[in-house]
Amino acid sequence: MGGAELGQIFVNAVLLSGILALVALGFSLVWGIMNIVNLAHGAFIVLGAYITFFLHELLGVDPFLSIPVAMLALFTLGWIVQRGLINQVIKAPLLATFLLTFGLELLIVNLINYFFKADLRSVTTPYSGTGFTLGPVRIPYIRLGALGVSLVLVAALAWFLKSSRTGRAIRATGMDIDAARLTGVKVATIYAATFAIGAGMAGAAGSLLSMIVPFDPTLGGAYTQRAFAICVLGGLGNVANVVIGAAIYAFVDVFVGARLPSLSRAVTFAILVLLLILRPQGIAGKSV
Amino acid sequence: MKRTAMVSLLALALALGAFPVAAEDTISFGAAVSLTGKTAKEGEYTRDGYNFAVDTVNAQGGIAVAGKKYKIAVKYYDDESKSERTAQLIEKLINEDKVTFILGPYGSAPSGTAAPICEKYKIPMIEANGSAESIFSKGYKYTFAVLSPAKLYLKGVIDLVMSRDKTVKTVAVLGENEPFSKEVASGAADYAKEKGLQVVYQELYPTGTQDVSALLTRIKGMNPDVVLGAGHLQDSLLIVKQAKDLGVSPKAMGFSVGPSSPEFRENLKGNADYIFGSTQWTEALKYNGDDPWKTPKGYAEAFRAKNPKYNVIPYQVAESSAAVIAFCRAIEKAGTLDPTKVRDAIAALDFMTFYGQIKFDSRGINIYKPMAIEQLQPDGKKYTVFPAAVAEKEALYPMPAWDKRK
Repeated sequence: MGGAELGQIFVNAVLLSGILALVALGFSLVWGIMNIVNLAHGAFIVLGAYITFFLHELLGVDPFLSIPVAMLALFTLGWIVQRGLINQVIKAPLLATFLLTFGLELLIVNLINYFFKADLRSVTTPYSGTGFTLGPVRIPYIRLGALGVSLVLVAALAWFLKSSRTGRAIRATGMDIDAARLTGVKVATIYAATFAIGAGMAGAAGSLLSMIVPFDPTLGGAYTQRAFAICVLGGLGNVANVVIGAAIYAFVDVFVGARLPSLSRAVTFAILVLLLILRPQGIAGKSV
Repeated sequence: MKRTAMVSLLALALALGAFPVAAEDTISFGAAVSLTGKTAKEGEYTRDGYNFAVDTVNAQGGIAVAGKKYKIAVKYYDDESKSERTAQLIEKLINEDKVTFILGPYGSAPSGTAAPICEKYKIPMIEANGSAESIFSKGYKYTFAVLSPAKLYLKGVIDLVMSRDKTVKTVAVLGENEPFSKEVASGAADYAKEKGLQVVYQELYPTGTQDVSALLTRIKGMNPDVVLGAGHLQDSLLIVKQAKDLGVSPKAMGFSVGPSSPEFRENLKGNADYIFGSTQWTEALKYNGDDPWKTPKGYAEAFRAKNPKYNVIPYQVAESSAAVIAFCRAIEKAGTLDPTKVRDAIAALDFMTFYGQIKFDSRGINIYKPMAIEQLQPDGKKYTVFPAAVAEKEALYPMPAWDKRK
């Protein structure tokens, strides 16, 4: 591997890590705090992508400016879904929430398919594909922007969970729901907020992905899978773990892909399986 | 005892129910196409192509068999884009609906599962939408495909580039790791080598990939003259997007699937310019055939008149119509509805149609019809640029570097 190629691959992996971290962020939060593996996460991502696409296509809104809109829309949807649906089965065994979110995923994907058709779409702006070069390494503006947005959101969520009153209540609920309730935390509201934040983050991830990959209503499944893998790799518990998990996933995927592209997925998941055997709590996760 | 009685009763009921309701001067065809699921759109194209040809033939009086005219009726099922379902439905069409002939499903995988069923019952199938040679490498005698096989998909791009530029030396091929695309990729690489070009890169990426930057980074370092992609629409879009991201600027870029679809330009806008795409058929080709429509243009106009929702006619529609025409011709030649004799007549077909030449090799593949090449040009339109003899416009070559464009 020559120096130029190595440099480019390294940059590619860093840029990919940022987006994947944002993809997994909401998923990890909901899983960690509410113990719900949200299989509809990918569908939320797709909704975010469509919001950005239509705002750009119909109203000419710059895709980066539509990120807050997508986040707000998905936040609201997440809140409604949690209060209306997830809350009904919150005390039921894990399998029930699994089935519920799985069904929700199918419902959303098929509704999108019905209304917007299965056509592939991308957000293509005049600056799509443009970038600058650092020596032999090329850095596309959109990917760099996506990394920036991801980092800002990751940092914002970390700050929110650590320093805000609601954020601390969220973490407290995740640690011990009964103790949280005893100290006056309204668990139902906290759960709704957690799920809504998770959905909002998915919306932002969808906005970014719409500029990077061509998407159709079924795009989400692949990202739910990635989010799941990243959470297992990094371990649940805090925002930093997600970033570490995403970085491992991205680096393995990109570096293996550079030489053995047909094996990249197999190797990534082989590492995942190995890790589950050796360190079931994840690379950065605390042992239980 | 009781059980035997029930079984015979059931058999009787089935036999009674299965008698074709149609009048005796109708030939019944069966088809299982994907009307829902992943390839719902292509399945719809397939069905529309079959129906249009059937309606046209029926309007002209039907098929003449030994002095008698027969109308055609097609019984459809939806295979839900699942190839295991296709096999069940073909079995149902043959056993329960008692169809005489089978028109193929959409796609290589379902065609592959339908073929052994047709073989088992010795019912001929002409399919129009499965081009993987793996379907035909098992020695089946009753399956025929009117379309060009996968390995020829990108041959035209190589021929075209070599005819324009004698200095071309290197080719990179990247393909999706699934049967059809693998054949396209290896067919293109083999042909490039045969033509004395150097294949500097040949790799497969997993189906449903979301990132090809690693492959393109490697390709960029090799600086090939031609980059060929063998995947599906989403992959082709991703490769172009990321090629621009990374500044991969070959002299020509071509894809097996993608550029022929209107979504290609809708997604890529101006970045789609100069890209070549292979296609089974376009209405701009200049064939002169012996069928109800004679020319691609004649076919296109007649089809649009009946199906106004189509602006551009996808090749899947045309090849599906061609399959029906091939069946009609073979049945007329055979002069009987006997499946085995019709099968032999199909195997012996050699005639020109609006879709191109229809003739099968010993495996049942139409290797005689060339693939056409289209190019998206900066005026926002798409032109058929190859083969030269039937093209509508000259190709623009080389493709300007990404950063040298307006």
